[in-house]
Amino acid sequence: MDVSELQPVRDFVSSLPPFDILSDQSLRLCCISLSVVYYSRNEQFVEVDANERQLYIVRSGAFEVLTEQGQLIDRISDGQYFGFSGMLSGEKVVNKVRILEDALVYLLPVKIFDQLRAASRQFDRFFNQAFAQRLRHQGAIKSKNINTSRISSVVSADLISIGSSTTIQQAAELMSEKRVSSLLIIDNNKLNGIITDRDLRSRVLAKGLDGQTLVKQVMTTDPLTSPKNALIFEAMLQMSENSIHHLPIIEDGRPTGMLTSTDIMRSQSSQPLLLIGQIGRQNSQEELIAVSRQIPQLLQNLISSDAQAQEIGRILTSVTDALTRRLITISQNELGEAPMQFCWLAFGSQARQDQVAGADQDNALLLEFEPDPGAQLYFQALSQAVCTGLNACGYSYCPGDIMATNQKWQLSLKQWENEFSKWVNTPQPAALLNATIFFDIRCIFGSYSLFESLQNKVLNKTKDNDIFLAAMTDNALQQSPPLGFFRDFVLERDGSEVKGIDLKHKGTALINDITRIYALAAGIKEVNTHKRLVLLKKSKFINHQDAHNLIDACEFIARKRLSNQGYQYSHSQQLSNYLQPQNLSALARHQLKDAFKAVHEAQAGIKLKFLRQF
Amino acid sequence: MFKSRLIKSSLHRQFKRSQNADLKAYFQAQIPLINLPVKQTPLLVLDLEMTGLNPNLDQIISIGLLPLIEGKIVLAQAQYKLIKINGSVGQSAAVHGVLDQHLQQAVPLKEALHWFIQQATGKVLAAHHAPLDLSFLQQAINRHLNEKCALFAVDSLDIERRRILRRQGFIKGGELRLGECRERYNLPVYAAHNALTDALACAELLLAQLAADSGINKVKISQLLR
Repeated sequence: MDVSELQPVRDFVSSLPPFDILSDQSLRLCCISLSVVYYSRNEQFVEVDANERQLYIVRSGAFEVLTEQGQLIDRISDGQYFGFSGMLSGEKVVNKVRILEDALVYLLPVKIFDQLRAASRQFDRFFNQAFAQRLRHQGAIKSKNINTSRISSVVSADLISIGSSTTIQQAAELMSEKRVSSLLIIDNNKLNGIITDRDLRSRVLAKGLDGQTLVKQVMTTDPLTSPKNALIFEAMLQMSENSIHHLPIIEDGRPTGMLTSTDIMRSQSSQPLLLIGQIGRQNSQEELIAVSRQIPQLLQNLISSDAQAQEIGRILTSVTDALTRRLITISQNELGEAPMQFCWLAFGSQARQDQVAGADQDNALLLEFEPDPGAQLYFQALSQAVCTGLNACGYSYCPGDIMATNQKWQLSLKQWENEFSKWVNTPQPAALLNATIFFDIRCIFGSYSLFESLQNKVLNKTKDNDIFLAAMTDNALQQSPPLGFFRDFVLERDGSEVKGIDLKHKGTALINDITRIYALAAGIKEVNTHKRLVLLKKSKFINHQDAHNLIDACEFIARKRLSNQGYQYSHSQQLSNYLQPQNLSALARHQLKDAFKAVHEAQAGIKLKFLRQF
Repeated sequence: MFKSRLIKSSLHRQFKRSQNADLKAYFQAQIPLINLPVKQTPLLVLDLEMTGLNPNLDQIISIGLLPLIEGKIVLAQAQYKLIKINGSVGQSAAVHGVLDQHLQQAVPLKEALHWFIQQATGKVLAAHHAPLDLSFLQQAINRHLNEKCALFAVDSLDIERRRILRRQGFIKGGELRLGECRERYNLPVYAAHNALTDALACAELLLAQLAADSGINKVKISQLLR
């Protein structure tokens, strides 16, 4: 029999990851090996035959997977699977599967399932319980694309064109109105030429032609073009080899826009190193504010280059650091030398180097001694200038007033020590809220040795401090990640379904919290979450596998958060951490679910380690 | 009960009288099956594509067969045959997607009938609107195997008709079409139509009907035959 005769089955199965990557031969084997069953809600539970293990592929309908004790593990609908964990481990299945809606299900026997896994590593990886491998593998594919920004990320979206039978005066009017240096000449959707500022000068004015001359008489016919998905680098090469400054962009045979050498220059100036260099050369707050306007574009370029999320966080934060330092230096040029040694401290995301778009300020001053009134005036003026400058550069004031301008946070080494002692020794809820901010701390400017003495003192207080760590842990367990997705909803652990997920508070922040507790317990000075995890893994403070899973989960959730913001930016929406599942592919759903699972397991890990609870 | 006895005696009579060895074996194997409850009966879901609706004038173009055994549709045993016909498929090509060129892989009807009877032996036939398919098969057997026979099958349309009548007392136009029946059970919509996909569509509908009506499992299969 020809498998194509069962088109509906094949069409459905081949649309599901990971079946979509199977070879035709494997897919055929899979389809003809299926049997089809139907579950009615009246039956309540799926009767699993322990002797005949199989993968349940849901064609339509809905199920709920529960532990033996009845705790919700997952809710499953069209295009999802159950029954594979037992097939992989070979252990007896104890989970129960409740039928929520009448369902049509395809059953794949374990023998064929194993053959498919043997035939395709990717297929195997998808189902394998070592889900971390899956996330990592995805990362490996992605990061190959780094530094290969494409034309599509820099070319402006609107197509500015005119017909070839119009006059050059009309063309010039359109160019002035749209403030562009060139026009695409399009007749009947076909690109016939281009006309540029230079053409108007050398082919019209210099030749004494008047404004009623037709565009087709002076345009450049058959211009060089470039496909939309070409690399910026390739376009640069094409322009310089041919001494041109304008390249029409073609997509599916149709002109869609114009790439100019200015577009390219602008995109290149958003490269982080150039931007940081530029920041260092500015001599006034106004100039810094102007330069900082490139930051949103830098972030978008980084997102579209598929760089790793943790790298993007570090790059963006290094720009913030450079701006902060330059603002300090500029105001010191006016105020003069500081009356004593000091440090400009950053907390929270700037300290952890995981800033994304729209980060707040969280900063403070660490002073060598308690300031006298004269010193106080100096530091007040300095912090005022820097914080206002940062605000004007797009880093809004901290809503909780954790800022260097607040006298409460202009403290001497001794005073900071006292503050930290209070937080560590009396871990009240308010103190713990502070702890999540203040214990991620980094010196941005000033005396590093002064900062180090504070850090050493703090870590001495937290290291192996059972009571403090238990309180921190209890606090970190107040939020839990979702279970996964059900249709277009996010499925919470209590079984409720919500429309979207806050990837910061239900994702990255949870990982930051877990990692901070381990780092404080181990006395690790590093504050970046990724680096903390690497050190914790190296020092065997967390076991290898758990650290890996957490690193992967952190990277995956952070990347989803960034790409979601990239999507919002390109659709002119307000940037937020809120992700709605209907925009997610089936594969991304599986991966996010795995990442949430890793976070949940890590939460169980700290609960056991620091609270001695299961 | 009465109907069940009628069918049983018909099967006995046909088993005794049949001159064709395949048919004789088929009817003999049917006799013990008809007393089984539905769920334990091995079914063979079938669908025919024809050049038209009149068994005296029109011809069978293709046959799709799909076994439904112990509550499972076994795709590995799905079978499909194209049948040689006289003339062109003409207008009906638009409906079934069977082109004249496909018919080059086709087998003669007589050969297909032998194959079909062998496949059906030991199983009870099932189809959506079974009387139509059965009348084409009976006509073909009469012509090519020189046997007048009466075939019986479970009819998903008939099951649905009885269910709707029980519920609302009347039937609206189109309500019994395969696609509409499937919709009522939340079964997916299939775009492609040929004898095998329609057999699959019918088999899935039967599964859903049997799951929806717990009473149906208590009756013997002969109560459902038409």
